[in-house]
Amino acid sequence: MMQAIYVEGDSFLHRLNPLSKVMAVLPVMVFVTLATDPWTPLAISTLNVIVLLVLGRIPPGRLFKILALLALLMLIFLIVYPLVVRRELVQHTPLLFALGPIQVYQGGLLFGVAIALRVFCLIALSLPFSLTTDSSDFIRALVQQWRLPYRVGYSAMAALRFVPMLQIELWVIQAAHRVRGVSDKGGLRAQYDRLKRYTVPLLATAIRQAERTALAMDGRAFGAFETRTYFKRMAFARRDVAFVLGFWLACGLIVLALARAGLLGPLVLVQRV
Amino acid sequence: MCIEIVDVTIKYVGRKAPALAHLTLSFKAGETVLLLGPSGCGKSTLALALNGLIPHSVGATMSGRVIVDGRDTQQTSVAELARKVGIVFQDPEAQFVTSRVEDEVAFGLENLCWAPSAMQTMIDDALNAVGMPNGHRREVYKLSGGEKQRVALAALLAMKPHVLVFDEPTANLDPAGTRDVFALIAELKAKRTHTIILIEHKLDELMHLIDRVVALGECGAILADGPPREVFDRHAATLREHGVWMPQVCLLAHALRERGVALDDFPVTLDEAATCLDKVTRRRGDRMNSNHYITLPPAHPVTSPNWRYAIAVRHLSCVRGGRKVLDDVSLAVAQGEFVAIVGANGAGKTTLALHLVGILPAPKGAVFIEGQDVNATSSRALVERVGYAFQNPEHQFITESVFDEVAYSLRAKGLPEGVVEAQTSAMLERFGLFRLARANPFTLSHGQKRRLSVATMLAAGQRTLILDEPTFGQDQHNAEALMRLLRDLHCEGRTVIIITHDMALVAEYAERVVVMNAGRLIFDGAPRDLFMQPALLREARLAPPPVARLAERVPALRGAITLDDAIGRLTMPCQATASALHC
Repeated sequence: MMQAIYVEGDSFLHRLNPLSKVMAVLPVMVFVTLATDPWTPLAISTLNVIVLLVLGRIPPGRLFKILALLALLMLIFLIVYPLVVRRELVQHTPLLFALGPIQVYQGGLLFGVAIALRVFCLIALSLPFSLTTDSSDFIRALVQQWRLPYRVGYSAMAALRFVPMLQIELWVIQAAHRVRGVSDKGGLRAQYDRLKRYTVPLLATAIRQAERTALAMDGRAFGAFETRTYFKRMAFARRDVAFVLGFWLACGLIVLALARAGLLGPLVLVQRV
Repeated sequence: MCIEIVDVTIKYVGRKAPALAHLTLSFKAGETVLLLGPSGCGKSTLALALNGLIPHSVGATMSGRVIVDGRDTQQTSVAELARKVGIVFQDPEAQFVTSRVEDEVAFGLENLCWAPSAMQTMIDDALNAVGMPNGHRREVYKLSGGEKQRVALAALLAMKPHVLVFDEPTANLDPAGTRDVFALIAELKAKRTHTIILIEHKLDELMHLIDRVVALGECGAILADGPPREVFDRHAATLREHGVWMPQVCLLAHALRERGVALDDFPVTLDEAATCLDKVTRRRGDRMNSNHYITLPPAHPVTSPNWRYAIAVRHLSCVRGGRKVLDDVSLAVAQGEFVAIVGANGAGKTTLALHLVGILPAPKGAVFIEGQDVNATSSRALVERVGYAFQNPEHQFITESVFDEVAYSLRAKGLPEGVVEAQTSAMLERFGLFRLARANPFTLSHGQKRRLSVATMLAAGQRTLILDEPTFGQDQHNAEALMRLLRDLHCEGRTVIIITHDMALVAEYAERVVVMNAGRLIFDGAPRDLFMQPALLREARLAPPPVARLAERVPALRGAITLDDAIGRLTMPCQATASALHC
């Protein structure tokens, strides 16, 4: 409910502290952002998929669907990129084909591949967290371990629960207006008017709901003291340390192997040719 | 005394009139009190004042004193009050903070800084007390409505308050959920550990639990206060005048008395009524033998010469999110019928209705409005044939004045402004909104909003009107006025379809009832026939209305489902009473 993408389960990844999933992945993300060759993101993505399947017990079909969607997006990017890349960057590489003013150079295509793979890999790297983390656990961990003020954390938690409620509400309001005969066609002006009309009832509902939630929280002594205790203690267990170190080590080995094989490109943000 | 309210006046910030004015009232430890009153009488305000949310959390000024266990709430922290008074609110969704049952129950304990090691047993105890001993890891949003309220109660019980306030706990629930919550309150009452204050208006099912009734009028003026029998017997006229809901058995008793039927005792619960009415009929046993009972003719002629379908649904199925929400539903509604669609939450009632107005797309050849396939009708044409009033009237307001709301669809038709003005004024006059023509729709009272939403849905001359929970959240006055209005519309020949959980409403007003269960249409016929089928009702998780339940136990009442039926049976034993059709 909180995140449409969350896959319920009780796997190793699910049981990990949410923060350790963040910590494991972050430095790898930075590295992938800097890598320019296509092999690094490919290899890391592969490792990532193995982690998701084996440690996360994500149903392969589900994972495939997500990755396929992602790959499709990247493919579109790949087709567009060589057409919009600055000519002087790739002019010196062989011309693959030309169709009137459209000229596709080999360099453009390769850059496109590399960037698409990187973006694919970065998004894929976020999956071990987003597919296996209950967002309220994440907030709990932030509050308990990283000192996020608890009032802020729990407000965020309540706010997250509002998202699906407001989505449903918006759908109902749209339906209710359509029954009034408000057409859903028309130009920008009509669109704007329509949005304006949705806001009042939507806001009315949101405020009422927020008030109710706030009362229910206050009625159970929320915010009564400077601190509070936690039934579910968030801490780093041995498995968290093992996972973070293990993930770093695996990625390190991959990079090392790539370097040995001479496949690792220079690490830069903007590449010069 | 457990709670004392002394000369309390509460005014919300930005409001001119106080919500409560000079209220003095006290509650004894261990009693179960039913708090009644029309909408806007300050019941909920009073509830919030009991646990200190007013004035501590809510933007309101309060004078006078509320004393709980000898402590003035104004000088006591919310944390301490939370351990004394807990409130279960109406909306089960809105009162949850976390997503799992055990986290929700732990939430209050965490705020009170209990040691985590002590919490486990407290959580276990609380969940045991609400009959969900193994519910710990369940996700709250996947629970049924009744279960949600159980969890909400467990979350309070964990904090060990000795006063529990239930503020319309069943308003958002279907009949099964309502029964679930009432059973829970009964269990709680049996333990004799809590003072229970209940705000509710589905009364017949819970009167046997109530020790005392307090009825509030405008600004919390006390209309009546005493044991249920006394309040409903002696103060009935006052309560009726103020639009306060009363148990159906009490209404029946008064009606019988007015017609000269002597009752030994004034009944308040269904049990008492059954015993009492049994005596009445036995006294006149010679004439009141159930064999003399003549079957009433069906309320609605099954065929008529100029039969025309307002709505026809043919083999409609609908799959959403991998679940079959409608499964091969076929239904034909003749022009001018009054139909109720009933069923548990999630049974497919609303989904079916939304197909009728084209909000959910129907396949070709599945849904016909006045003989035209919805699939091939423009939404404009559809809107002019069928009106649909959503549960929350606010959702449908699209202009900034009451007048423009009604005029909207007339203007959309391209009528000249003079005609629009005349028709709109006539419409507003009829719906009692003329005085408010310039007001912003959002500033109306709940009952006025509902009337306005119905008016807007008829302005374009729609012949069919569909209403989702038309009486939701309304007090007795407004609910009755609205239903009379619908009956008038029906008598003018319009087709009226209501979706409702209120079986008394179905019995009283509908000519025909359609029961949905798990996407299938499992019954289609007269309400009278439905309420005689316990197995079917159980399957659909419905319960017969109070009078029908009484009729199960009093032979002379057999077949009665409405108050009028029952009164008729008991006063004119050997004649068939007028049919339910009032036109």
